[in-house]
Amino acid sequence: MKLLSILIAAIFAHNIALRYFLGWCPLVSQSKKLSSAWGMGVAVTLVMTVTSVLNWPIYHYLLVPFGLEYLQYIAFIIVIASSVQVLEMAIERFFPSLYTTMGVFLPLITVNCAILGVSLFMILRDYTFLTGLVYALGSGIGWTVAIISLASIREKLRFAKVPKPLQGPGITMLIAGIMAFAFLGFSGMVGIE
Amino acid sequence: MNWLKESLNDLSDFTAGRPYLGYATEVVDTIEAIIFAPTERSQERPFLRDFIDVKRYMALVVIGIVPATLASIYFYGWRALAMILVSYVAGGIAEVGFTLARKEEITEGFLVTGILFPLILPPTTPLWIVAVGIIVGVILGKEVFGGTGYNIFNPALVGRVFLTVTFPVAMSSNWVEPLTGGWAGLTKYGIDTVTSATPLGQFANEGTLVGLKEVFLGTIPGSLGESSALLLIIGGLFLIVTKIADWRIPLSYLGSVMAFSYLGTFLWPNQVAPPVFQLLAGGLLFGALFMATDPVTAPTTKGAKWVYGLFLGVMTVSIRAFSGYPEGVMFSILLINMFSPLMDDMVMTHRYGPVQKPYK
Repeated sequence: MKLLSILIAAIFAHNIALRYFLGWCPLVSQSKKLSSAWGMGVAVTLVMTVTSVLNWPIYHYLLVPFGLEYLQYIAFIIVIASSVQVLEMAIERFFPSLYTTMGVFLPLITVNCAILGVSLFMILRDYTFLTGLVYALGSGIGWTVAIISLASIREKLRFAKVPKPLQGPGITMLIAGIMAFAFLGFSGMVGIE
Repeated sequence: MNWLKESLNDLSDFTAGRPYLGYATEVVDTIEAIIFAPTERSQERPFLRDFIDVKRYMALVVIGIVPATLASIYFYGWRALAMILVSYVAGGIAEVGFTLARKEEITEGFLVTGILFPLILPPTTPLWIVAVGIIVGVILGKEVFGGTGYNIFNPALVGRVFLTVTFPVAMSSNWVEPLTGGWAGLTKYGIDTVTSATPLGQFANEGTLVGLKEVFLGTIPGSLGESSALLLIIGGLFLIVTKIADWRIPLSYLGSVMAFSYLGTFLWPNQVAPPVFQLLAGGLLFGALFMATDPVTAPTTKGAKWVYGLFLGVMTVSIRAFSGYPEGVMFSILLINMFSPLMDDMVMTHRYGPVQKPYK
């Protein structure tokens, strides 16, 4: 029950993109097309889950026993960078078209603040291994939900007469802002702790 | 009306030949188009089968909301009318200014937003907050997307949620008991009685239920136009009969609220209110009949409309039961609005296979 409520909270009430405003660079730049948004969402979810699975034991069995908690940022970034590298090679090998669509944004997952944020929240909130895993999975799904709905809205807006200065990132951030308004409705719904 | 038509024609001819008058041409044309039917007729195909254009469409929605508007004046005094006027004037200035600056035609879509917006506010909302809300709703909710017909989110709800977030105290604690009996509000400007809680608020905080008869007739605290379920149903049926609102959306929305609150009363009896109470209390009928059915922000495919209503119901029941807000209709409509392009896309892919998009 606790796991389920953490999962739902991570997807909706504590959506990593729309409540914490993390991971917005790919959210804005990769939401032009629905297909690339799906790819990015799945990639981010995968990296989030894998890195939190790796980061939890590293923090609790390596950093804490030696009193090296202050190294958590460096340790987490190294883990994230290396797993993104592996993922990039895998995508290039198996989904070449997706690889070309995502371009530079795939390696940039490394510096995606949502990924590091999930690992840090996991430590900050004293999650057990399992809750951390569920939280990371839920955050990834929540981020995917955000980018996919944003991409479908932008595909529809292709035919809209958006004022010139607002075209592109401007209107995208406005839409995401209104989406964040709507997500406020979930506040106080399920606890994340 | 002939003299009006002639004088408008004269004015239109006068402005047409004088480019230095600038925006006056469009303003005169708009006034003419709002009052009279369009004068231009198509000389070649395609011919219009029906005169239900945007203007008639919007006018019928305004007619549908008239019963609830009159009730709001009866319940809350003439201040309700003042709020509507402020909304029309402030929002109208924002709309006309924006369209003129962009050299677009002024459309009639604002007539609906301008009246729906004040009706979903608490009766004691200060007039300047009404103005702020409608301006934000019109500009950020509609105009930045390209104006009427292009908006993704319901403009009135964008304004309402903006106010809820920005002025939380004014938007959530100023509910008053409506006036009833005799002339009630018709002889007064406003109400200055003590504040009280809405039926949904009472249920969320104290767990008490208000009688169904009061909720049905509307003698309960609530937003300006949402209180009387009876009059909303009359207006909503008018919209459904004239085919302005698609019957699928209210049916699936209200049905899913009934079903999920029925299930919820078994699982969480202290948090989920009983089905009929949920149906009549709060803004559900107003939202389901007048806001969710907005043809611009709702999905266009029939299958997606059923799914849209289903999700709206789930969201409304769960926000009402579990979130910090006692009422969830505005949040759920705004929330599901953002998924309606995706729902359309999925239904079309399901029906016709992967759609080759005409762009890259």
